[in-house]
Amino acid sequence: MAQFDLTAKNCQFFDRHLTFPLLEFLCDKGIYDKRELLEYILDTVNKTNMIDYIMDTRKRLNLGDEMPEELAHRKQKVLQTLKELQAEVAPIMKATEMWKNSESAKDSKTLLNILQKQFDFKAENVESAYKLAKYLYECGNYQDSASYLYFCLLVMSPTDKNYLNVLWGKLAAEILILNWNSALEDLARLREYIDNANFTNIQALQQRTWLIHWSVLAFFNHPKGRDLIIEMFLYKPLYLNAIQTMCPHILRYLATAVIINRTRRNALKDLIKVIQQESYTYRDPITEFLECLYVNFDFDGARMKLHECQTVIINDFFIVACINEFVENARLMIFETFCRIHQCITISMLADKLNMKPNEAECWIVNLIRNARLDAKIDSKLGHVVMGTQPLSPYQQLVEKIDSLSVRSDALTGLVERKHKAKNSESIDAWKYY
Amino acid sequence: MSRFFAGGSDSDSETSSEEEQVQFPRPTATYSFSDDEEEVKRVVRSTKEKRYEDLSNCIKNIRNYKKIKDMASILSSFEDLTRAYQKALPVISKEENGITPRFYVRCLAELEDFITEVWEDREGRKNLSKNNSKSLGTLRQKFRKYIKDFEEDLTKFRESPDQESEEEEEHEASASESEEEVAAQKAVQFRKEVEKPSKQPKDEDSGDSTDWGSDSESETESSDDDNQYMNIRERFLKRTTEKEEKDEDVEKKKKKAKEIKPRRKREEEDEEGGWETVTKGPATSAEKPKMFAKDAEIDIGLVLNKLSEIMSARGKKRTDRRQQIELLYELMAIAQLHNLGNACAVKIRFNIISAIFDYNPKVSEPMKLEYWAKLVVAMKEMLQILLATKDITLSEGVLEDQEEYEKAPYYVRGCALTAVERLDDEFTKLLKECDPHSNEYVERLKDEVVVTEVIEQVLQYTERIGSDNEICRVYLRKIDHLYYKFDPNVLKKKKGELPANTSTSVEVMDKLCKFIYAKDNTDRIRTRAILCHIYHHALHDNWFQARDLTLMSHLQENIHNADPSTLILYNRMMANLGLCAFRQGNVKDAHRCLVELMVTAKPKELLAQGLLPQRQHERSAEQEKVEKQRQMPFHMHINLELLECVYLVSAMLLEIPYIAEHEFDARRRMISKTFYQQLRSSERQSLVGPPESMREHVVAAAKAMRCGNWQACANFIVNKKMNAKVWDLFYEADRVREMLTRFIKEESLRTYLFTYSNVYSSISIPSLAQMYDLPNPKVHSLISKMIINEELMASLDDPTETVVMHRSEPSRLQALSMQLADKVTNLVDANERIFEMKQGNYFQRGNMGNRDRGNYRNQNMNQGGNWGGQRRDNRNQRNRQQRDNRNQNMIEEE
Repeated sequence: MAQFDLTAKNCQFFDRHLTFPLLEFLCDKGIYDKRELLEYILDTVNKTNMIDYIMDTRKRLNLGDEMPEELAHRKQKVLQTLKELQAEVAPIMKATEMWKNSESAKDSKTLLNILQKQFDFKAENVESAYKLAKYLYECGNYQDSASYLYFCLLVMSPTDKNYLNVLWGKLAAEILILNWNSALEDLARLREYIDNANFTNIQALQQRTWLIHWSVLAFFNHPKGRDLIIEMFLYKPLYLNAIQTMCPHILRYLATAVIINRTRRNALKDLIKVIQQESYTYRDPITEFLECLYVNFDFDGARMKLHECQTVIINDFFIVACINEFVENARLMIFETFCRIHQCITISMLADKLNMKPNEAECWIVNLIRNARLDAKIDSKLGHVVMGTQPLSPYQQLVEKIDSLSVRSDALTGLVERKHKAKNSESIDAWKYY
Repeated sequence: MSRFFAGGSDSDSETSSEEEQVQFPRPTATYSFSDDEEEVKRVVRSTKEKRYEDLSNCIKNIRNYKKIKDMASILSSFEDLTRAYQKALPVISKEENGITPRFYVRCLAELEDFITEVWEDREGRKNLSKNNSKSLGTLRQKFRKYIKDFEEDLTKFRESPDQESEEEEEHEASASESEEEVAAQKAVQFRKEVEKPSKQPKDEDSGDSTDWGSDSESETESSDDDNQYMNIRERFLKRTTEKEEKDEDVEKKKKKAKEIKPRRKREEEDEEGGWETVTKGPATSAEKPKMFAKDAEIDIGLVLNKLSEIMSARGKKRTDRRQQIELLYELMAIAQLHNLGNACAVKIRFNIISAIFDYNPKVSEPMKLEYWAKLVVAMKEMLQILLATKDITLSEGVLEDQEEYEKAPYYVRGCALTAVERLDDEFTKLLKECDPHSNEYVERLKDEVVVTEVIEQVLQYTERIGSDNEICRVYLRKIDHLYYKFDPNVLKKKKGELPANTSTSVEVMDKLCKFIYAKDNTDRIRTRAILCHIYHHALHDNWFQARDLTLMSHLQENIHNADPSTLILYNRMMANLGLCAFRQGNVKDAHRCLVELMVTAKPKELLAQGLLPQRQHERSAEQEKVEKQRQMPFHMHINLELLECVYLVSAMLLEIPYIAEHEFDARRRMISKTFYQQLRSSERQSLVGPPESMREHVVAAAKAMRCGNWQACANFIVNKKMNAKVWDLFYEADRVREMLTRFIKEESLRTYLFTYSNVYSSISIPSLAQMYDLPNPKVHSLISKMIINEELMASLDDPTETVVMHRSEPSRLQALSMQLADKVTNLVDANERIFEMKQGNYFQRGNMGNRDRGNYRNQNMNQGGNWGGQRRDNRNQRNRQQRDNRNQNMIEEE
């Protein structure tokens, strides 16, 4: 299944620390050679200050239990730097304590005032807090890092040169401590900043691409994320453009999100347009499934693709949790489309198309009918499902067509009259002068 | 002398060789001074000799200048003369016992005559340039004052002018004699030039080479190579004559051109007969051209001064441009002879190039072929030097006073880039001048290789020293020569027939264009590069890349602000993109790309592939000239019949099912106006015969499709005639034909279902599949799509594999009321839009509503295809017509 694995593509756009969960996930899946992966992890982790993690990886690679000289030395050094930095930040620490207790200083301005008055607070202090936060992050202490960064965000002005970095750091830290609520908040803040800041086109594109990737992590782990991901990726042209130019592989996640989101069926049409447009740069079983179902109406193809989709999803870190939902919804989609086209279906054929046993399928359909999602009857003698289709009568068509007309005309007359009055009063005024 | 008389008595071969001589005056390296000569001059001489020589030099100069009536120079030479005489005075008083030397007096007398003559000639005086007439005045005064001292001698001289005592005067006489001779020659030669055109065919008959351009080119090249050897030989030749003629090199510049003839003649004979010609030497070398004083030490400074002197005449009204070019060639030869360095050679060659460009003062007409050949050679030579020598900088950025010729690194002012751009433009002009269906065009087109080579060299050079902007410019030139050429390797590579690392033109384009995208800061170059890039992608069937580039560049939105030639390129790009979309099976996109071009019914004009015949003064002569200049050379043309055919076929594939679907729909609109026109014009005919032209074929096919008869339709579109006319023009014609047949089947099936579904209550899918020779799943998928899109009121019955129609036929009343509802909806739509549009001044305008409706529909139509921006050409045309109408109205009112 390595051909549909996107980890390599995705990792380009992630922070080093964010790639560890992905790589660890891959280790368990056994798509790639485990040892190679571990070596790669070791390589990456060596660039950070997470000494314990290095040791752990070494152990897993059977490189021996004892810590090499150099590593021990590094550990000491790291601890020392950490202490130094903490000493620098000590005065602020006190302030934060105090601020945590007091309710009065909620917004950043008053806080800044208080800090300046009472604690002799300077701009360098923020700088050192930022440094400490970064160092903590590199050491893997994301929790503390996040709280320092939170402080930084409060006191920093958006024009500060580190502001963007702080935002990114905060988001990464929140994601890594799995605090999805604040991750979403940070995401929104970061997006706003990126959209409003004066980047050059290329920079903005790059920032957006990063944001898109990072947000996938948050979106699939937050209950609200499934709406938000469609909103942001599909309906914000800037981000859709970024996806199309930089990372069409994100379409997989977008497609998954649309499929599992039953309430957003109307997004399907737009999504399929995008998928078709990009079909020459990116295709995988999930996008092909949609194509089969909604462009070619090739139900056999869709069935095959659905089967492939399952293996793809199981091996994808981001969407592995949605596998059941995905299969359920995909089946429903196939069935719905089927029903719209057919007036009579044999259950055995349907079961075949849905990858189900005939009995299961019958059960499933019965459930659907009972929940009134479907106007159909089962002919159990022949094993058919007969749709209760009603041809649209001409009267109905007529009524539908004229329905809105009177409302629209009304509105129009209203507008015209208002305009007319305004004109009249104006022209009366104007006549005074003649 | 016989060979100066227009070849009647001469053999043909000789005539032809003569003509070449006339056309290509030899680079005059051959006439300059050899080293031996200078050695001779260093011999110790007496003061008398020295002084007298100075004097005679001045006199010579004066004589020269008299011939060309260069008053300013005469004045300065006269002053030189008096000064020299002052210097010589002690010697004279000693040697000649105080008597003024006769030659000096003679000169004065001649000068006096000359001045009075010129002074009297009022007409001529008026025509003199300001500078010259001023000098004339000063000269006259000075001369009068000066002459007072010599009045006695003069009167004595005038009494007996024939008395010749001095040896040198004999020489002078002979010189002047030879001058006369030369003048006669000249006259003859002019006559010959006039005759030339009539003579040319004769040459061709005689089996001589018919290809003037390339022939002469090689000739010149080879002669340049010969220079070295000839110079050596020249030295031998000269030594015999030089000593006696040392003093006597009174020369006119104009003669140089003529002397070439004997020279050439001699050279040719040399090849056959060895040294025989030496005897002729004295006669010819007596007329040796003179650029510098005999004893002048030729160095860089001197040559450059001369160069600037020649070039300063540039652009003036009376300058003989042809002569100027010849002078420059001579100068180049001299410089080469004296090894004045590469910088100097580059400078001179650069000036030759610009002089050749100047030769043809008219912008619209191409230069003569002979000059074109020269130009190419000069350009090549210059670039060879530039590329071979690492430390020469030829750039516009070098100021006059920063130029450095003497030592490395050299700096020369000039711009190879501009030269090559001009060269390229001239090449295009030359091409446009010939008849594209003649052999001549092919011959001309062969030079394209040379031009691309030159561009390539300039590109190399510019990459070395140029700024980003310059590199962009030269890249664009290269792109211009690359973008319309099809490289079959690209497709082969795509199929994996070639290894992945072969470099194809697409990659080259990619590289060049990306550089331009990144570095260019003038919008125009980037726009053109993008257009060419898209064109090239489209040419090689890279549909997605081409499409994405088109969409990403947002060109459609602002292209109508561009200049006409960019607009033409845009139109060409769109046409090609349409063809590419068609080849790739995207019929809708193909139609959208082409509709803007075809709806005007003059794609020929929009693509600059020819002018439409005049219709009642649509354009003035001037406009026509401008438009002519914009035309594309023939080899870059896009086949118009192919274009139209592709457009009509894609329109047919879209329109016919649409018509069938909306047969009774009041809101139906046209997808393609042009297609409708074709249909209508065929309907108007009382008798429709079997189709002949491409259009008739398409119309016949459309009619067949209308009844769902796919076989007839496919036969009309794909048959021998159509293959020969259009389809074979595609690279992968078979694939395209196959695809076309498939589309025809599918669309016919759709049409069939739309048209005849009301007579069926159910149709079995297998039988449909059989009828249309399509696989079952395909039919199933097509019908499913139609059901889902609510185009077909039906549903499938799976167990029996049939389509069951639900369509309930509306009664007449129902149908009518539906139509009414449609119309009312239209009205409301239109009202709403009017209100949005004309919010403020709705009431003042009265009932604009009904009139605007049509327009709104059109707008709707355009919204679907935002592919084509407005074309300025069209609009201009329209504006022009409007303006004309308005003018007419005004006239009528008056």
